Amino acid sequence: MTNQTLALLILLFPVAGAILLAGRGWRLPRIFTVIIGPGVVWASFVCVLALFSGKAHGDFTYWSWIKSGSLDVPFNLLIDNLSIFMCLVITGVGGLIVTYSVGYMEREDDPSYARFFVYMDIFIFSMLLLVLAGNFIFLIVGWAMVGLSSYLLIGFWYQRHSAVVAARKAFVMNVIGDVGMILGTFVLFVNLHAITYSGVFQAVPHTDNGNLELAACLLLVGAVAKSAQLPLHTWLPDAMEGPTPVSALIHAATMVTAGVYLVGRMYPIYDVAVYAHGAVAIIGAVTALFAATIAIVQTDIKRVLAYSTMSQIGYMFLAVGIGAYAAGFFHLLSHAFFKALLFMAAGNVIHAMHDEQDMRKYGGLWGQMRPTSISFLVGSLSLVGVIPFVGFFSKEQILGLAFSKPNDSLALIVWIIGAATALITGFYTGRMWWMSFWGKPSPQRPVEHPHAPSLVMMVPVGILAVLATVGGLLQTRALGSFGPSLVNDFLAPAVGPLRWEGDWSEVVIGLSTMVLATALFLAAMRIRPWSAYVPWAQRMLERKYYFDEIYDASFVRPMDAVAGFALRGIEEPVIDAAVVDTGLLARAGAASLSLTQSGYFRNYVLVFVGGAVVAAVILLLRASS
Amino acid sequence: MSTLNIGGSQIDTSWFLLLSAVLFILGTTGVLVRRNPLVILISIELMMNAANLALVTFSRQLQNMDGQLFALMSMTVAAAEAVVGLAILVDIFRTRDAEDVDDLSELRG
Repeated sequence: MTNQTLALLILLFPVAGAILLAGRGWRLPRIFTVIIGPGVVWASFVCVLALFSGKAHGDFTYWSWIKSGSLDVPFNLLIDNLSIFMCLVITGVGGLIVTYSVGYMEREDDPSYARFFVYMDIFIFSMLLLVLAGNFIFLIVGWAMVGLSSYLLIGFWYQRHSAVVAARKAFVMNVIGDVGMILGTFVLFVNLHAITYSGVFQAVPHTDNGNLELAACLLLVGAVAKSAQLPLHTWLPDAMEGPTPVSALIHAATMVTAGVYLVGRMYPIYDVAVYAHGAVAIIGAVTALFAATIAIVQTDIKRVLAYSTMSQIGYMFLAVGIGAYAAGFFHLLSHAFFKALLFMAAGNVIHAMHDEQDMRKYGGLWGQMRPTSISFLVGSLSLVGVIPFVGFFSKEQILGLAFSKPNDSLALIVWIIGAATALITGFYTGRMWWMSFWGKPSPQRPVEHPHAPSLVMMVPVGILAVLATVGGLLQTRALGSFGPSLVNDFLAPAVGPLRWEGDWSEVVIGLSTMVLATALFLAAMRIRPWSAYVPWAQRMLERKYYFDEIYDASFVRPMDAVAGFALRGIEEPVIDAAVVDTGLLARAGAASLSLTQSGYFRNYVLVFVGGAVVAAVILLLRASS
Repeated sequence: MSTLNIGGSQIDTSWFLLLSAVLFILGTTGVLVRRNPLVILISIELMMNAANLALVTFSRQLQNMDGQLFALMSMTVAAAEAVVGLAILVDIFRTRDAEDVDDLSELRG
């Protein structure tokens, strides 16, 4: 099979699965859904593996989508090492998560069960389209469809009011990003006269910087909204209303990393547009710190993980923002491993606790759910960045590169923020771990003896736990420039080689950060009631720095007021009144005319005869005159 | 004053027209005052025949066959009208046993 066909097949499998399940899935036995739902994702994974092992690359054009004057939009897929890397993450980790959902969603009735896998397959398709697209139009199509499937999955339990509200919030925030993307594409097309990646990147050196800065900033709006970075982040914690596998797949491993992919893919533009590029790093660093501090006080286990996701994506933004693209993508891969692991292990707990998500009501799970606890610990240590887990290698590499970037004070600033975040990460992860799994069972725990997760849920968790443990061997650069550097080497053709080399000092710094973070992880067992001493900070963090309140006051309520005025001041008295009054007039006219209709036959005849007599009289008078 | 030759005797035309008018007024009055739908139909037939008489009268007087042809035409239409009218009546009787047209006044506004 040619590479061109394989690339198309990657996309066709999930979409075929979604169509099959949507059409027939809920009428057939459940085993049909169980096989088709995850099966198509694994089929795509096999295709990606074939491309990966065949070292495929190329820009495959299938047909012309739109042709109008100088606008020529082909349907083309770009296969290079970056898109294959992303596809491996999406279909590999995605396949594990969709398989896990087979067990997690087992309590749903058949139609909902099939619906869930329809949405999941649509999501996988959209995400693959997003990373495989070879031009801006299909990038936007994938971008928007990813937002749609996220909306559908957050609102999967549509009987819950909170889920519907959260889905709507996520959709609105994502659409703000979509608008930024579309405007950015307009700016690029108007100035560079190209819509395909290859065309745009060829034209970049001949374009003036102002327009590129504008386009890069607009694209950044899209990236920020999709990746839940400041200030468009408020939707991600609420998105935890969705089922846990959704949180693992969409709101940790894949969709929210789309912003990192976008900046990496557009690196020729960001390399030139230095101000926009610096903004990427600053947004990433600030978000990382900001989200980590909020995670300290959250009590809902999934919300802690959500803020931690924002924080880790902040690291990725930081990395691509300072030009360490491959390091950002390594962290993307590593984060996909350990965060999906954390979410799915948390899902095991939530499943066993009958949907209780409050960590204060757990406690003492170490003895009762040993495999899940161990997996969660692996994920936690990876998140904290402890040797030898994958999180150490990816995070410390980013921090090391920020520290060692020559002649760049911005990189140094974001390094300070990033290192502080790493320490806070140690603390909130420790708090989450000790609170949920250690100590005595909470008296409020809903289940005395939690059931062990089924095999189909435990196997993906186990695989990810192994990957999170040994994944660091892919790239040990954080311990010095010896050892393998597979991710950097693999991505170098797509995003350029590493722009500068570090030295031994960054290894020392990285190790000391790790030691401090680990110490805080352990300390979190003891210093839990810290917040009693600083109640104002506790309150501010619990209100998430009042972002929701500020947005509510500055956007939602004014809009409500305008809409309310339009309803009561314009719609009802003017437009509605005009329409209603026209109707009333016609009705009154008809009512008065209908009085002439007696329904009696002889009345009609009388009128008829009378009319005939009058006509005859008139005729006679005229004839006689 | 013109006359018509009917069976050898000369009769003044106005008598025929007077008869026609009397018949027509009888028919009209019948339609207006009677309530039985069948009688109303018969009254309508009476009006048509009055009109036919007038047509034939003028035809004879003016020595023009158009009027008589028109009377024939009118009879045909009357026959068709009787068929349709009677069919409607039969149907009404079947469903609601109405002997009074005043009972059929659902179209009152």
